[in-house]
Amino acid sequence: MTDNLHLLLPEFLLASLAILVLGVDLFLPAGRKHLLAWLSVAGLVGLLVLSLLMLWGKDISLYGGLIKTDSYSLLFKVFFYVLGGVVILSAVDFVKKHLRSPGEFYAIVLFAVLGMSVMAASVELLTAYIALELMSFSFYIMVAYGRNNPKSNEAGVKYILIGAFSSAILLYGVSLLYGAVGVTRYDEIAAALTTAMANADAVSPTLWVGLALVLVGLGFKVAAVPFHMWAPDTYEGAPLPVTAFLSVGSKVAAFALLLRLFGEAFMPTIDQWQLLVAVLAAITMILGNVVAIAQRNMKRLLAYSSVGHVGFMLLGIAALSHVGAESLILYMIGYAVTSMAVFTALIAFFNVTGRDDIADMGGLADSHPFLAAAMAIGLFSLGGLPFFAGFTIKFYLFTAAATQGLLWLSGVAMFSSLISLYYYLMVVRQMYIEPAPAWAMEEAEEEESVYDEQATTGKPSKLIVTVLAALTLGVIFVGVYPFPLLEAIKSAAGALLGAS
Amino acid sequence: MPTMEWAWLIPALCFIAFPIIAIFGRYLPGKGSFLAILAIAAGFVLFLFVAYDRIDQGATGLDVFTREWFQAGSATLTWGIIVDPLTVVMLGLVTFVAMMIQIYSIGYMKGDPRYGWYFALHSLFAASMLALVLADNFLLLYVAWELVGVCSYLLIGFWYEKQSAAEAAKKAFVTTRLADVALLVGILLLFREVGTFSMMETFHQAELLMAGEDSLLSSGTALTSALLLFVGAMGKSAQIPFHVWLPDAMEGPTPVSALIHAATMVVAGVFLVARTFPLFEAAPDALLVVAIVGLATTLLTATMALAATDLKRILAYSTVSHLGLMMLSLGAFGYTAAIFHLMAHGFSKALLFLGAGSVMHGADQTDIRKMGGLAKVMPLTSFTFAIGALSLAGIPIFAGFWSKDEILLAVLEHRHWLFLAFTLLAVFLSALYMARAYFIAFRGELKEENRTAHEAPTSMALPMVLLAVLAAGFGFIALEWGGGFEGIGSFLFFDKAHGFEFNVALAVGSLVLALLAVFLAWSSYLKGKPYLSTLKSLTTPFPALAERGYFFDHVYQWTIDRVILVFSGFLGFFDRVVVNDTGVDGPANSVKRSSFNLRRHVTGRVYNYALVMVLGALGLGVAWWAMVAVG
Repeated sequence: MTDNLHLLLPEFLLASLAILVLGVDLFLPAGRKHLLAWLSVAGLVGLLVLSLLMLWGKDISLYGGLIKTDSYSLLFKVFFYVLGGVVILSAVDFVKKHLRSPGEFYAIVLFAVLGMSVMAASVELLTAYIALELMSFSFYIMVAYGRNNPKSNEAGVKYILIGAFSSAILLYGVSLLYGAVGVTRYDEIAAALTTAMANADAVSPTLWVGLALVLVGLGFKVAAVPFHMWAPDTYEGAPLPVTAFLSVGSKVAAFALLLRLFGEAFMPTIDQWQLLVAVLAAITMILGNVVAIAQRNMKRLLAYSSVGHVGFMLLGIAALSHVGAESLILYMIGYAVTSMAVFTALIAFFNVTGRDDIADMGGLADSHPFLAAAMAIGLFSLGGLPFFAGFTIKFYLFTAAATQGLLWLSGVAMFSSLISLYYYLMVVRQMYIEPAPAWAMEEAEEEESVYDEQATTGKPSKLIVTVLAALTLGVIFVGVYPFPLLEAIKSAAGALLGAS
Repeated sequence: MPTMEWAWLIPALCFIAFPIIAIFGRYLPGKGSFLAILAIAAGFVLFLFVAYDRIDQGATGLDVFTREWFQAGSATLTWGIIVDPLTVVMLGLVTFVAMMIQIYSIGYMKGDPRYGWYFALHSLFAASMLALVLADNFLLLYVAWELVGVCSYLLIGFWYEKQSAAEAAKKAFVTTRLADVALLVGILLLFREVGTFSMMETFHQAELLMAGEDSLLSSGTALTSALLLFVGAMGKSAQIPFHVWLPDAMEGPTPVSALIHAATMVVAGVFLVARTFPLFEAAPDALLVVAIVGLATTLLTATMALAATDLKRILAYSTVSHLGLMMLSLGAFGYTAAIFHLMAHGFSKALLFLGAGSVMHGADQTDIRKMGGLAKVMPLTSFTFAIGALSLAGIPIFAGFWSKDEILLAVLEHRHWLFLAFTLLAVFLSALYMARAYFIAFRGELKEENRTAHEAPTSMALPMVLLAVLAAGFGFIALEWGGGFEGIGSFLFFDKAHGFEFNVALAVGSLVLALLAVFLAWSSYLKGKPYLSTLKSLTTPFPALAERGYFFDHVYQWTIDRVILVFSGFLGFFDRVVVNDTGVDGPANSVKRSSFNLRRHVTGRVYNYALVMVLGALGLGVAWWAMVAVG
């Protein structure tokens, strides 16, 4: 059917926007490249409005069932557009200072956003794979964007090698799956699996191995243990805004895909995979949170912390059901807002000091009280303290798991959440109790001596402070009053699993 | 105009004022004190509208306005307000007295380093107290109850550099918290039985129980919960044996004593019993306990007031004594009388405290033995103090006379004659100690060191005058005026309305007793007659006991030192060695160690990563297949 192609208009326009950014880049003088960021954000906002107006309440599949525009797709489309905008805004200062070719950077961010929103919308294995690759390719480039920084290059190489490897595994899994059931559309897979389950003896092992390999391939994307080992190196080496985007965007997108895949295609065999996913979730959350304690670099710490959060999100997949899906989506949103807040604070800190070790953050509460407070709120939220998003989302998710018969996993989740609080609070302690490190003292003295010239060097820009304030408010909002969000999420989960 | 529904705004305004003054006060003129007064004055104006609307809609009616807050499981939490005559009179008392005392504080607290913080706390207190009287469910009431406790703690210890103030604050907080535990247990017990925190629903069940119909409450639960609630009320209203904190609470600034520890917060206990009266009525035995505790409190503390020499402590003991009188009245089904006395006492005692504050401000004395003849240098203070004292002594036309009379009547009608006899004794003692305080402090010769004492500034004098008018004239609302107004008993009542009742024998009897007391004090303290010392020697050992507060404090201190601290020392040892060192630090250290060991698994070599991935994939595939094959 081609008569409803116009429903893909936001995707087409987003691709055009990215190309437009590349084009405009050619004509802008070097000093004004930041205008491209504003162009991208304005475009995203326009597309956001357009999508909401055009796609609200629609539930149609396109291209013979390859892509679906339903409230699930719309929710994530909106989410990724907003995320893209936030990432771009928080990156502006960083890009100006540390990266060459800003035009391409913003365009690649937009391509990644395009890949993400198609990932959430696709209902067929190969379409999903292609969207996933679009996102991954964008990230391969972005991770290595710090061209003169050997760490960034190393991170890029590691990421692309392991990424290619995992893509191969994923594709192999898809082909085995296709061999076993003969279809690739989610709904047809579900139908085939239902028939197969009715006659369980006749199911070939190929099917299970194929499913396992698909899970491994996606497990790499979300950095689930034991497919996580690239994450700390890549996070540490990548330019900071890319790390932020990677840890939030790629994870939420992969989970959006996972949730759709498991919810729409693999649901009939939930008894066969539930325990495996649960075990995967358990080791992921324990390992991620335990190893985070030993980290000295903030980016590495956040990498392990995000591995831990992936464990929690896998718990939502294991507890797949209406409440499981709803709380998982809420978790993704809450995690994304919180994580972006922490990363934005870190970017602002890096912009000012050029450092990102935990030890460097000593005395931050005195030198930059707002940054310290925002960072502390973000960390409290990641640790799951009340009044902040982290508490609400964990509460919903763990409760959902407990009601789905995974009480033991909820217990493990609470225990590892407790461990995570330790290293988050360590950072807060560094900011609020420990004195400023030696280099900061020297810098402060120097600054005093040349006070007249450099009065404003030590301050984060107004833009990033505004973004950070908005994100912090978001963290509190989700924590205190999540009901409006829950309404949208209920409708999205309903689109996925049928009305409850 | 749905004015009554807007009554929630009254506490809300003060609640908003609190953080603004606390945070931005230092940048505002007058450190933000005007905001506090503006908020409470707006509250007072709103109260006038609410009161008008209440009378307009049927003065004896009761309206509840509720909003859903959130749902947790099957329980729905709401917050809402009750607007009935009890609420209205309490709103009036709290807003008016708080406003008066905040105005008074402008002058009294002038130059204090924490001037703004003082007014911020006053706003928070007013908000909490107003929320307490408006609350339509026990949970909200409990929250407000604790909040007023916190404000009381912070304000008693306002001058926390002074050790005695810090300790008094601690004592007040701990003592009342102890009683609050019982209150909480009572509330939870009711919640378990009735399934809601809503007061109206609880009272409905209590009424069903009374009527002998099917009720969610059993008579045993009703009695237990009523008694538990009463223990909470005893803590807040300083009934024996919880009374020990109130005299010490006088360490706070005097306006605080006037507002919190005389007129408003300490009557919260009386208010609580009045508010939950349907429950108490369903458990008559509980009411008998209320009456006995009230009577014991009023008698014992009246004698302590006689023995005290510090002006503020005299007033504090007198407050406790009158709170006991209110409790006694409630225990004798004298609902109207209790609330009426609450109001009359509130105005009079606030006035007396402001007088004491004025003396401290002007003459810098708190011990009445060092005062004397102050009427000569502080005529206005002396005059208003006399009005307050006359009101509390129960001399006719002053407010306290009318309310005390109602109480006597209730006791006469509903309790054993022994109760009445002891109540009359309390009336006599009350007049005696008030007269003693007044004559010693304000009459007689002016002492040399007090020659420089000066009268209070206008901002302090104005509230005193206004309160004096009320202390003198408030009692007349007990009378039937005609024109539709048939006395306080016609709209503030429980069960059935009643006009003003007057028992001539009782009124005359109590008046004679009061006058006798005043005469005794006058002749003994001003004319040097030995009547009182004779009385003192006749009643040995009571005067000596009263001077030492009947050893309540000593017994408590001994228990804390010898029993509680020894026990907690043992618990502390157990906690440190067994719980902390072994139970908590042990696992924590192993987690930390494993973290440093585990982090080595990320080697930095890509081929290791790929290998682990392959192994993971193999493991997953095999496990999956095995699970399917087995299951």
